[in-house]
Amino acid sequence: MKLSVLAEKLALKPVTEMCDKEITGVYISDMVSDVIANAKPGDLLVTVQIHNNVIAAANLVDIAGIVVTQGKLPTEDVRKMAEKAQIPIFSTDLSRWQVTTMLYEAGVR
Amino acid sequence: MASEAQSRYKMVNVRTGHVIMEHDVLSHAARSYFCDEPIPPREDYREGPHRWRYAGMAQSFQFDILDERTGETVQLREMLGLVYYANAKRDSTLHRLGTIAHDNGISVYAAVAYENPDGSVRVLDGEKVRLLNALFNGRLHTPGKKVLILPDLFDLYRTVSYGDIMIDFGLASLEPEEV
Repeated sequence: MKLSVLAEKLALKPVTEMCDKEITGVYISDMVSDVIANAKPGDLLVTVQIHNNVIAAANLVDIAGIVVTQGKLPTEDVRKMAEKAQIPIFSTDLSRWQVTTMLYEAGVR
Repeated sequence: MASEAQSRYKMVNVRTGHVIMEHDVLSHAARSYFCDEPIPPREDYREGPHRWRYAGMAQSFQFDILDERTGETVQLREMLGLVYYANAKRDSTLHRLGTIAHDNGISVYAAVAYENPDGSVRVLDGEKVRLLNALFNGRLHTPGKKVLILPDLFDLYRTVSYGDIMIDFGLASLEPEEV
């Protein structure tokens, strides 16, 4: 499923420029080291982290996009870093659990 | 960018733990080390002429690289973490080099190692750097995307292994202090 389609289905708010990619899986984590060790290329990362280390890790693993939950918003520096790495960030007021269930219902398995 | 390396190299023996930062109350020297004990130690202790005191910690991990063709496993115990060029200071060599590389589709990271116990520099050897590049590039899917992991040619270890500025510096294997 394309990021743009998913963003529309879940009413995710883009906070960076859109760089549409195919999502091949989902990884939910707030630990940078966990993302590096266990996330897979093409995964959508669902997290509450907005630190620049998340972008460094997501770029290393080739994450397709990031959904930041609970209404958190990355700083301008982090947004610019993500755009340069072509990793779109979306924001939502939903919790990680709510996003997870909606992703499943949307057909992302 | 699925490549031969994708099926050949694998991250194995992932160990979660903490990077412990400490300083010597007498000489004010500082150092850090990886600890995989469930409850990291925080007590002062003596070691020769030094009295080391806990100064802070951050969640981190260590791993080895398995060559699935030969069955050989290479340990990376000396690696502290990877610094993404964009997290380095804007006027630093790493940032400038990384910016040029990024414009050419290459994401640059520097592999920073722990110091030796005597405080001398430790740099990942060429073979380990080669394996790191093979491992991470072998996992990439985005066409044209490339990661270049360099040894610490930038003296980053002095900055990132000396305690409380460690997190802000942007080591990709470390966890930010706050969520």
